[in-house]
Amino acid sequence: MVNYIDLTIQILVAIGVTALGFAIGMLFNGIARKITARIQNRVGPPIYQGYIDVLKLFTKKTNISHGWIFDLAALFSVAGIALAFLFLPVAGVSLLSGEGDLFLILYLLAIPALGFALGAGASGNPNAAVGIMRALMTMLAYELPLVMVIIAMMVYYDTTSLAVIVQKQANMHWAIFIPVFFIGALVADMALQGMLMEKPFDIPIAPHEIATGPMVEFGGKHLGALMLYKMMGIVVETTLFVDLFLGGGVILSVSQFGWLAYVVNFIVWFLLILFVFFIALLINAVFPRFRIEQALKFYWKYDALVGLLILIWIFVGVTP
Amino acid sequence: MNHENWSKLARIMSKRSLWMIHFCTGCGAMEMPPVMTSRYDMERFGMHAMATPRQADVFLVTGYLAVKTLKRVVQVYEQMRDPKYVIGFGSCTINGGMYWDSYNTIKDLSKYIPVDVYIAGCMPRPEAIMDSFLKLFDMIDKGEAIGWQKYHKYYDQYKRNQRMAFSYRLDEVKDIKEDDKE
Amino acid sequence: MITLTIAIFLMGVIVVGLLNKYPKTAGIIAFFVSLIPFFALLSWSSVMNITLPSYLQFLNFETSWQYNLGPGTLILQITPLGWFFLLLLSSLFPMVILFSISYFRSNAGGFYAAMLLTMLGSFGILLAQDMLTFYIFWEIMSWSILALVIRGGDRKAIVSYLSFGALSAMLILFGFMLLYFKTGTFVFAEMHLDASNLVLAAITLIVSGFAVKGALMPMHVWAPHVYSKSEEPFVAFLSGGLSKLGYFGIMLFMYGVVGFSLLSSWGTFRGVPLFGYSLAVVGAFTAFAGTVLAVMQDDLRKLLAYSSIGQLGYIAIGLGIGTPLALTGALFQALNHTFFKAVLFLAAGAVYYRTGKYKISELGGLGYKMPFTFLASLFAIFALAAIPITSGFAAKWLLYEAAIEKKFLFVTPIMLIAGVGAFLYVYKILYGVFLGEPRYNVKEAPLSQLVPMWILVLPLIIFLIFPGWFVDLTAPILQGYEMTAIPHTPYTINTSLAKYNTLAVIFAFIGTLIFAFILYLSKPQEKVDHMDNYLAGEPPELYDYISMHASSKYYEPFEEVFYPYFKRGAERMWEIILAAGEVFGSGARKIYTGIVGDYSIYILLFFLIMVGWWLLW
Repeated sequence: MVNYIDLTIQILVAIGVTALGFAIGMLFNGIARKITARIQNRVGPPIYQGYIDVLKLFTKKTNISHGWIFDLAALFSVAGIALAFLFLPVAGVSLLSGEGDLFLILYLLAIPALGFALGAGASGNPNAAVGIMRALMTMLAYELPLVMVIIAMMVYYDTTSLAVIVQKQANMHWAIFIPVFFIGALVADMALQGMLMEKPFDIPIAPHEIATGPMVEFGGKHLGALMLYKMMGIVVETTLFVDLFLGGGVILSVSQFGWLAYVVNFIVWFLLILFVFFIALLINAVFPRFRIEQALKFYWKYDALVGLLILIWIFVGVTP
Repeated sequence: MNHENWSKLARIMSKRSLWMIHFCTGCGAMEMPPVMTSRYDMERFGMHAMATPRQADVFLVTGYLAVKTLKRVVQVYEQMRDPKYVIGFGSCTINGGMYWDSYNTIKDLSKYIPVDVYIAGCMPRPEAIMDSFLKLFDMIDKGEAIGWQKYHKYYDQYKRNQRMAFSYRLDEVKDIKEDDKE
Repeated sequence: MITLTIAIFLMGVIVVGLLNKYPKTAGIIAFFVSLIPFFALLSWSSVMNITLPSYLQFLNFETSWQYNLGPGTLILQITPLGWFFLLLLSSLFPMVILFSISYFRSNAGGFYAAMLLTMLGSFGILLAQDMLTFYIFWEIMSWSILALVIRGGDRKAIVSYLSFGALSAMLILFGFMLLYFKTGTFVFAEMHLDASNLVLAAITLIVSGFAVKGALMPMHVWAPHVYSKSEEPFVAFLSGGLSKLGYFGIMLFMYGVVGFSLLSSWGTFRGVPLFGYSLAVVGAFTAFAGTVLAVMQDDLRKLLAYSSIGQLGYIAIGLGIGTPLALTGALFQALNHTFFKAVLFLAAGAVYYRTGKYKISELGGLGYKMPFTFLASLFAIFALAAIPITSGFAAKWLLYEAAIEKKFLFVTPIMLIAGVGAFLYVYKILYGVFLGEPRYNVKEAPLSQLVPMWILVLPLIIFLIFPGWFVDLTAPILQGYEMTAIPHTPYTINTSLAKYNTLAVIFAFIGTLIFAFILYLSKPQEKVDHMDNYLAGEPPELYDYISMHASSKYYEPFEEVFYPYFKRGAERMWEIILAAGEVFGSGARKIYTGIVGDYSIYILLFFLIMVGWWLLW
């Protein structure tokens, strides 16, 4: 017997949280541009610039399409990233994260990427194809250190479920306070830089080389959808990092403090993802761009080496 | 929301987030870096340089246009999506500037694509460029920046002029005749 | 009925072989014959505790069949494991035959005859209950594959298949002989093995013999040559179906004949038998190296061949770990691989049928011309890349879970990276063949090629929604190995580490798609020409002599990084072994001098040694 009232409430909460995610993503876009501008001694746009940009793109009078495969990009990228967000525990609130695990999230993140790649390929522009090639190779590069750290955590916490990892970090037993995972957090933060496509790993976008790569043919509402994907992507990826290493931003337990805990946790979560994003922005502001082989070598030689040390540490330390 | 309010909202959004593509044909490109960087910082108006015309709203033609480059300008302009605005930059786009008697250079850009704002000068200083942006905002706000509508309306005239120019019959290029009636 | 089936198959072989001049007729006859194993499968469904409605079981097959031969008895009997693999092969085989009816325009009788023989061989292998029967049918299968490889006509493919096929057969035969020497019986059920080194040697030989057919590294050398130089429907069956027989053999001997507890007695590491551990490591290496090599290929069939090798590596990982979770994952991966790789090879065949090209850099833009082929291969590609909107994900997920559960800290990252690497080569297929600049003005593939592709896509969708049904299928198999099936409901799978609810994923995805669709419909759009691209203002028609399709040397930076590590491939290793063998052989050949005096000295020496030995003993 399905409880329809509960189901409706759950769906409404899911819609609300997704909308909140998109809203925060757009806000982050403005904040990022403001911070970058301040680092470069400029005034910068207002922090609500992200909302204006997206609204403008969706109010463009005419839009072009290169065919139905091209349209798939807009659909899959927005839907896929929202789906990935639903499977993440946000500030300790697990919407659907009990129904899947970290492997699922890692593969759900591939839905928007592949959809996007389909649309970019369908546009027939060689720049887009080169951009996708670079994006996929960057993905290959940063995934190795990232999965090394994630697998070390899975074995340490003896679960693959992100919700359980967040639970086990409750009461401020954050993973980052464990020495080995402090190093792990540094490794994963480097991987996050590639995931967020910030410099020095903004190789796929590279506006000056390949005219924004995959996005070269996108305009109007299609570009708006892609911007939503990119902005939400920031929230999803930083939340993944915060869930893994910073206990998902949970500092008050819900059973003890009730509604207050939700509010406080959400605020802490917001501040933490902002902080993680801020670090990425600082690195972004001062570095030039790697070439793709250099990025691959950086990740697989140095970052993955540290990741390997973490794996050995866990391998020796954890007895079955 | 009724149509009037909707288009007003669209105009406001469009004004506050003009993405620019600059077509650097001549020396005018030199004046763009100060406009973008910390001295003048056009990003505080939400303006941003974009890489491709599909993404852009405002088209900056910086400098003289040879017939050959005009082909590219028309191609880029037609790839931009409505609403789109054009800023003619420097004297060259107004009357040919120092190339006024060249056999190979078009003289008046507005005969080939509709231009919303001109900036006079050779070269115009960054202050002038910023002023033109503000003027464009003002025009968008009032609904006067309707170059893209004109291009649709008098498409055959623009096309004819472009064809004449491409075949080097520059003396046969005529002014765009606008109907007084709406 | 089993005798009748074998007889019908053999008659079919003769009939279609004689109908060489009438390919369509031969194809249709072969198609009807090829359906018989599937009916047999339906009538045997009670083995898997499935009750089918009676109108599906109109042919009644006996469950076991015996024939007395001098040294032993030939026994064919249906088992759950055999049923499962027969499901894969017998549902793939008619589709492949159906595809070939329109694919071959002439000279196809030999093809159908050899195909029927391979299916007969596989049918026997899957039912065999003793080593004699197993080996006889294994040889039937192997030799008829050779006939099909010879039809491809590439010398390197024939030689490599012949040598590796012989190596495989020798290894298996040697292993069987050791087992017979140890136990004195051919019948699996009557073998009572102990933890002696002889049994370990036998099982190692047998597993490495099957690894040749399963294309595990470094025994994979034949696969890329054969896959890329044979006819497409056959390759689809070889990669999708016949390569599974290697893993069927590994599973049968590792868990059916030897058993998990006996495997553990040769040493365990963290709860995993060392034997299985090494198999898992080899599998992980195969998955990674196969993926990297696939990314570097330009020939569509070679790419798919290396991708096959990589994906089959995952099955080896699962069989190596050997927990119920891992075995379920391995079987699931076998099922998915059967269907998605067959679809991809058939799609490659359809593309070749229309364009006559196999090189990815020469294809392009077929997505709009052949939309149904494109969509079918898109689904297959989603399954290959384990995107959670097909059943491909559940299999990989089970394997990852099994690896984490047994704390495979170094194998799991390699598996995941191989999974990410799969995105690289599937995008190469997508972009190079189906997207981008339209270069060919061709029609959609004929209906008789589309129908098999779409039927083969169906299981990928069914088992996406109901992975629990699949786990139900594995329950009787695992029961035979004294294991219990993993906890599940029709649409959820639980492990000790996490839970996977497909219904949540699907409904959430539909919900978010609706959200995205509303956004997408918010504004009208116009379609522009495919070539209306931004190229810094250059109209493409000015440059029609430059191809805008960037698929040539698509992953050049990747190749720059990885090629130095992979240029001395496994082929080089085998060449060195071959050279060493030649040196040894030519040295040994010097004994045969051809002089009678020398030979008499040898005889004398031999006699002296024998006498000396006897005296010393």
